[in-house]
Amino acid sequence: MSSIYNFKKIAPVPEAGDFLDIVLSKTQRKTPTVVHPGYKITRIRQFYMRKVKYTQETFDEKLHQILTEFPVLDNVHPFYADLMNVLYDKDHYKLALGQLNTAKHLIDSVGKDYVRLLKFGDSLYRCKQLKRAALGRMATVMKRQKDSLSYLEQVRQHLARLPSIDPNTRTLIVCGYPNVGKSSFMNKVTRADVDVQPYAFTTKSLFVGHMDYKYLRWQVIDTPGILDHPLEERNTIEMQSITALAHLRASVLFFIDLSEQCGYTISDQISLFHSIKPLFANKPTLLVMSKTDVCTIDDVRPEERQLVENAVSDGVSLCQLSSYHETGITETRDLACDRLLQQRVEMKLKGSKISGVLNRINVAQPGRRDTVERPVHIPEAVLRRRQQLQQQRDAAGDDEDDETMGRVLERDLEIEGGGAGVYNVDLKKRYLLASDEWKYDVIPEIIDGKNVADFVDPDIEEKLAELEREEEKLAAEGLYDSPDESMDEEERRIRDTARRIRERKQIIAQTSHINDVNRAKLTAKAKASVSTTEDFSEHLQRLGLNPALADETAQRAGRKRGRSESQDPAVKMARSSSMAARAVSVIRDRSVMGLKDERSRVATEKSKSMAMRQRNLMARAGEADRAIQSKKPKHLFTGKRSIGSNDRR
Amino acid sequence: MPQNEYIEESIRRHGRRMDHAERKRKREARQVHKDAEFAQKVHGLKAKLYNKKRHSEKIQMKKTLKMHDEKNAKQKTDDAVPDGAVPAYLLDREGQQRAKVLSNMLKQKRKEKAGKWNVPLPKVRGIAEDEMFKVVKTGKSKSKAWKRMVTKPTFVGDGFTRKPPKYERFIRPMALRYKKANVTHPELKATFQLPIIGVKKNPQSPMYTQLGVLTKGTIIEVNVAELGLVTTGGKVLWGKYAQITNNPENDGCINALLLV
Repeated sequence: MSSIYNFKKIAPVPEAGDFLDIVLSKTQRKTPTVVHPGYKITRIRQFYMRKVKYTQETFDEKLHQILTEFPVLDNVHPFYADLMNVLYDKDHYKLALGQLNTAKHLIDSVGKDYVRLLKFGDSLYRCKQLKRAALGRMATVMKRQKDSLSYLEQVRQHLARLPSIDPNTRTLIVCGYPNVGKSSFMNKVTRADVDVQPYAFTTKSLFVGHMDYKYLRWQVIDTPGILDHPLEERNTIEMQSITALAHLRASVLFFIDLSEQCGYTISDQISLFHSIKPLFANKPTLLVMSKTDVCTIDDVRPEERQLVENAVSDGVSLCQLSSYHETGITETRDLACDRLLQQRVEMKLKGSKISGVLNRINVAQPGRRDTVERPVHIPEAVLRRRQQLQQQRDAAGDDEDDETMGRVLERDLEIEGGGAGVYNVDLKKRYLLASDEWKYDVIPEIIDGKNVADFVDPDIEEKLAELEREEEKLAAEGLYDSPDESMDEEERRIRDTARRIRERKQIIAQTSHINDVNRAKLTAKAKASVSTTEDFSEHLQRLGLNPALADETAQRAGRKRGRSESQDPAVKMARSSSMAARAVSVIRDRSVMGLKDERSRVATEKSKSMAMRQRNLMARAGEADRAIQSKKPKHLFTGKRSIGSNDRR
Repeated sequence: MPQNEYIEESIRRHGRRMDHAERKRKREARQVHKDAEFAQKVHGLKAKLYNKKRHSEKIQMKKTLKMHDEKNAKQKTDDAVPDGAVPAYLLDREGQQRAKVLSNMLKQKRKEKAGKWNVPLPKVRGIAEDEMFKVVKTGKSKSKAWKRMVTKPTFVGDGFTRKPPKYERFIRPMALRYKKANVTHPELKATFQLPIIGVKKNPQSPMYTQLGVLTKGTIIEVNVAELGLVTTGGKVLWGKYAQITNNPENDGCINALLLV
């Protein structure tokens, strides 16, 4: 159930000492902690100002949270305001919150003052002392709030345990002298499970329970017992009842115990009823006589009976109940609920909002379209049935209108058959078969010497396997292949041509894309290098010429013209012979170039490995490792940098 | 729906779990070890706070124990032999007294001594000019440096009017001006917040006196009208001297001792 008054969400209020620890450790955690006297004085000031300001803000935030979370008595429903006044004393409550508010302001002003003083701090020491003084003064202010804080914590805990009563909903209030059976009644109508004991003032505070009636949700409030004395003398327990009676629009059930087992005479109880009668004004009131199992109205002395009957005036009705025998409980509850509902409806009708609702109610009546009569269609069978029933009823002589139209319902059958759990529902009754006689026939396990098992094929597995094999064979033979024979010679030729045309078109599109005027073009040189001999021969082939021509042309184009004409044949001869001798290029290993023979090479190799041994052992960088000689070359890192970056110079 | 005293109600109806008492006892027995473990592990500010708390608890505990010890202590008395006849079996016994070590009178005396107020400060620390004043640069190019700002709390009387800012040599910032002092009356042993009337003497320098600088050891005149002091002649006193006992620039407030 959603209640607008939920006091369960108020955050816990720490004690003064804890409060300080929380705030100061938060400051320590959330602000910088390292400062040195060598820092610039502005930085030191800034450091300490931040600490002071942060502490002040944390205090402010925490106190503000408390101040906003606790309900303001002027803003809550008068019932809750009054209840809180009774339980926690309004003045005390307001004072506690007021003191916290003052403390908040004091802390704010301390923070402000010291931040101002810190602006004139000229050394780390002085700044630190000022911060210390500021935090100390804030702490002192907070320590003085010790009592307020602990009081508010207690209030919070109690508030969270208050029953969540919705002051505006449909409510029944149970009241009366102590020990007259209020809580017993409450336990009977709701699931509240209130403690019931044979002594007075078992119930010490309000209890709420919920029940359903007419598909509506009702709350029932059990109140502590009230004694008959002036309002000033009432204690806290009684005052809670009075508060509930005074502020809630509810149906009041005033319980009286005629047996006087509660320890109070009937006349006492009736006089209490009269004395708190002003609280019942404009509320449906019921005078409930409880414990009828012990004593009823007929058993009491006539003068007392007279007293009770006198109490029943207009607006007050009388009922009897016994929680022990469970008689009269439902009647009492229904009466109280009905009267309250009736009153609420009347109130609503009187109110100004009702016109808005009434205007919305509209029964649509379609206008006549033509002269054709269109009456309600009632099936023939129904009419016949109705007539039949009417005749039966006339014969029987009763005039009762039966909704079931004489049909026997399953529910009636169930009641006849011994109620739920005993009656067995007949499921076969409505079977639809060729003959009604078959409905209850038993399905035999064996008929004509056979049962279900006899109809099962013993070699079903085998048959299935055979079928699958056959299928496989057919698939292999190509029974399920799509027919491809339709393509004959003519069609293939056409398709082939189409494919070539498509390719050709694609190539044309690509070349036109390449030759696009707006596109960035390759230089002539680059373009020339793109075309190869293969391309050329392919092109020739396409044209139907001899592709060997391409090679020839290319060779001719690439070859440099010899100096055959100008050169002396002898020289030419000598050159060509020397060229032949150099057909295989000489491998020159520079590591062995200055060495005479194999022996010296081995010796060099050895001395080299010896020299490198130590470096390798120590995993030091050798000659072969990559080395950056200068990580920051001076010319890249010096000079003005008004424009450009270092690597762009 | 749980409401009102539902926890107590539940305990009353269904009782506690069977081993509740045992668990409770064990938890309590374990607690000391847990505390010790935590005390060894904790560090930083939390350690400081925690150890301080434990320290004070320990002191309190020791005091309580000692008080119990004293209650049971037996002390020798000076007059060993009691007056009158003593039975033979008591003769070799020394006189004993079951009493606390300190008499109440002695305790009272100690308390008084501790509470005695010190004489006002006879000596003060010298304060150099550069600590007292901050040079304020003036001029269009901030090249002139003849202006000074007082960096200590000052008292500025109600009737003070500033010189024209152009010629004002000493600036006394508004944030550092004080009008009230927390004055302790050494005999009444009570502290009052009293308005300052003027600065009588700053021991550092007559110039500071003139400027109304409030430093430790400064003699100020305070308005004691609300204390209701009277002279022997029956006249109501309203101005009295007091000496500043704290460093106002470090504390942000002025604490003074009334000179009586």
